[in-house]
Amino acid sequence: MFAYIVRRVVSGIILIIVMSLVTFLLFFASPIDPARFACGKNCSPALQEQTRKALGYDDPVFVQWGDFLKGVVQGRDYPSDPALRKTAPATIAHCPAPCLGYSKLSNDTVLNLVKNAFPVSLSLAIVAFIIWISGGIAFGVIAALKKGTIIDRGIVGISLVFFAFPTFFVGLFLYQFIAIQWQIVPIPNYVSIADGGFFTWLVGLLLPGLTLALFYMAGYVRMTRAFVLESMGEDYLRTANAKGLAPRKVLVKHSMRAALTPLVTMAGLDLASLVGGAIITETVFNYNGLGKLAVTAARNLDLPLTVGIVLLLATFVIMANIIVDVLYAFIDPRVRVG
Amino acid sequence: MVNPRKPLAAVAAAAVALTLAGCGGGSSTSNNASTKGSKGGTLYYLTFRPAEHLDPQRMYIGRDLADMGRMVYRSLVSFPVTKNADEALKPVPDLATDTGTSKNGGRQWSFTLRDGVKWQDGKAITCADLKYGMSRSFATDVITGGPNYILGFLDVPHAKSGLPLYDGPYKNDHAADFDKAVTCKGNTITYRFNKPFPDLPLAIASLRSFDPYRKDQDQGDKSNFAVFSDGPYKLQGKWDTNKGGTFVRNPNWSQSSDPVRKPLPDQIQFVQGLTNEVINDRLISDSGNDQAAVTDRVVPPAFYSRINGAVADRATQTDSPFVYYLLPNFNQMKNLKVRQALMMATDSQGWRNAEGGSKAAKPAKSIVNPSLVGYQPNPAFTAPQTGDAAAAKKLLQASGEAMPYPIKFTYNGGTPTSDKAAAALAAGWKKAGFKVTLDPLSDTYYDVIQKPSNDSDVIWGGWGADWPSIATVIPPLFDSRINLTSASNGQDYGNYRSDTVNKLIDKAAAQGTVQAQGKVYAQIDAQLGKDVAYIPLEVTQFYYLRGSKVTGYNLSPATNGYPDLGAAGVTK
Repeated sequence: MFAYIVRRVVSGIILIIVMSLVTFLLFFASPIDPARFACGKNCSPALQEQTRKALGYDDPVFVQWGDFLKGVVQGRDYPSDPALRKTAPATIAHCPAPCLGYSKLSNDTVLNLVKNAFPVSLSLAIVAFIIWISGGIAFGVIAALKKGTIIDRGIVGISLVFFAFPTFFVGLFLYQFIAIQWQIVPIPNYVSIADGGFFTWLVGLLLPGLTLALFYMAGYVRMTRAFVLESMGEDYLRTANAKGLAPRKVLVKHSMRAALTPLVTMAGLDLASLVGGAIITETVFNYNGLGKLAVTAARNLDLPLTVGIVLLLATFVIMANIIVDVLYAFIDPRVRVG
Repeated sequence: MVNPRKPLAAVAAAAVALTLAGCGGGSSTSNNASTKGSKGGTLYYLTFRPAEHLDPQRMYIGRDLADMGRMVYRSLVSFPVTKNADEALKPVPDLATDTGTSKNGGRQWSFTLRDGVKWQDGKAITCADLKYGMSRSFATDVITGGPNYILGFLDVPHAKSGLPLYDGPYKNDHAADFDKAVTCKGNTITYRFNKPFPDLPLAIASLRSFDPYRKDQDQGDKSNFAVFSDGPYKLQGKWDTNKGGTFVRNPNWSQSSDPVRKPLPDQIQFVQGLTNEVINDRLISDSGNDQAAVTDRVVPPAFYSRINGAVADRATQTDSPFVYYLLPNFNQMKNLKVRQALMMATDSQGWRNAEGGSKAAKPAKSIVNPSLVGYQPNPAFTAPQTGDAAAAKKLLQASGEAMPYPIKFTYNGGTPTSDKAAAALAAGWKKAGFKVTLDPLSDTYYDVIQKPSNDSDVIWGGWGADWPSIATVIPPLFDSRINLTSASNGQDYGNYRSDTVNKLIDKAAAQGTVQAQGKVYAQIDAQLGKDVAYIPLEVTQFYYLRGSKVTGYNLSPATNGYPDLGAAGVTK
């Protein structure tokens, strides 16, 4: 078992290293020259080269990639110009290990930028999750219990509508009408619990949370309905009913328990992917989470930030996979040798 | 400078070729006056685009240059806070006691610092701070992205690469050259240039790169978002590159030492990352803090029908510093008659209508913005604004080329508006006998059109002057000696090459006054028109909303057409 875990971890690390190389290669394969982009107007070829040097893009790609990997292990200085380090050490920024890079466009280490953005994405994911899981299950159960009625059809139909609408449309709609025109809630603005307290935090997350939740909730309504209906046809439920158990008890204690198991597994996976950033929702509501950070990095040709975010997100996914693989191995010993 | 009507990616790309210290438009404002404000309160600045730099020597976005120049960075001379467009672009003393003394035909300039001017920590601003500030621009491997004119103008030796041997204060190689070119005597600083620089006061007032910088505050690239103020406000805490920041009053600034700014709010808060639509929705709604908000994001054409009644009283229009134009590619379209036919067939009215009509764009008669010193309409562009297909067809037939004449039009596209505008041009050209292929590009736009091998026949371009002198328009765009290399065409996207024009550019540069330069530039512009080196399309408009509690609102050429924070206030 131990050997299996080591094998999976090592293969995960190799995968992350390969991904970092692929990200580097893709970045430099782009026809857009980041040095020209950052050089400003009236940029002569000589100035463009100076800018390339300042950005740290003057070395061959593989050398840059090697420096990046070295930085992850032992930290790095930016810029890595020995002459500048000697004559003007105050201008050198140090990025301690594990250094995922230093964004010159933001004047900060990638790790700090990610650390600042993470609570926003996490908050948004939690609020959205609470809304969609409670709403999705409640409406799904109601639809199942009222199968074939207008209530069932209404719930299923409306959930289909929200599932079909793009997130940006729902987000903009809620923003424009609920917040701006009808002023039912204040203009959405992320305020951390530490800064504004729980209520301000929650109010700020209501509309973006709802935007995400409406999309996810639609799927959960339909799945809950299907699972509950399926379980209600099981023999043991017929037995429970025949024994004269109260319908509520049959539903909550027997039917729901069976129906919720796959839903909870799926909800966990969805929540994990949302924590990595909800690009569209964060952009629409101007929430500086991981999703918006990723968009900004790509738009500004910010290589260190792009690589850092890609690797972090990839690490999340790879780690999750390793955990699942290990759990499977525990459950089914055949996997270990497969 | 930000172009408010281009797609996000295009705006980002335009940051290179269009990012500039534009000089204002100035005419045709409406509802530009508002009630006189009182001191106090918070003014909100809603915007989309994050600042790229707050370092004075690196800033190059017109909005940021204007805003920071009013709030935190003072210059030797500045443009005044005024609603009089004729006065707005005449520099007045700021940190200096006067607007400078020039000698040697504009090759040497001296300024004397006024007494009592201080940094935010209470220490006096010195001549050494001014000299240090300028020296930073020479550290081209650290202080990147900023205006670089001074590298060519200052009288220091240059390497073969064209860059000065002096490499700034960090490595300090060849420092003696710089010390000779920039000298301090008491509170008087003297700059020596290798050619006449008659428009230096205009450059100082427009850019922040001539501003003082204190050596003990300098951390090179790490100072990119640090603000050490000598103006009426100072940054509270740190600037957040994603969100923005808040500026509060600087207790070490005094009105008696500052003849330019008339600050009113206690705080000015910048909120970044909001889209045009959201900002203008919020300003139309005019509730809560948005009542005290201004923006640099234009009203989208789709919102025009909502700007009426009380909302219209809060809308203001002015010329932007930008002119949009077309460039025939001289590597492709070598026949003058064909270029003339193209010009004659160009339906610039259709282009502007597609962009949103008169609130979005006005006719342009030159590549030079009308607000610039020495502006004259170009006599070559006499064709009707809707184009003259019949006259164009005759010219095309006379060219001897086979018809229909195939052309590829490359433009900064990716939005329905830009595609509609391009289609309007294509329709006019087709009527005249051109066979048009539309080639919209977005993120890669400048990377493609700057390649000398680019096979586009017609290319869209946009430009705003760095300071209100034609010297920052025609030479950067049409001097083939500084633009055309084997690897790139610089800003000369049409690969235009003319010895006549280059000689005239040298002649203009040798003039000792801006007015004398202007006369030569008018000659050059006429020659460009004759050669059909460009075809003007529009003077882009700024059409902005503001909150109902904003006072002293002014879209001034002095602040590149953006809301002037030097006098804006809020009612309580």
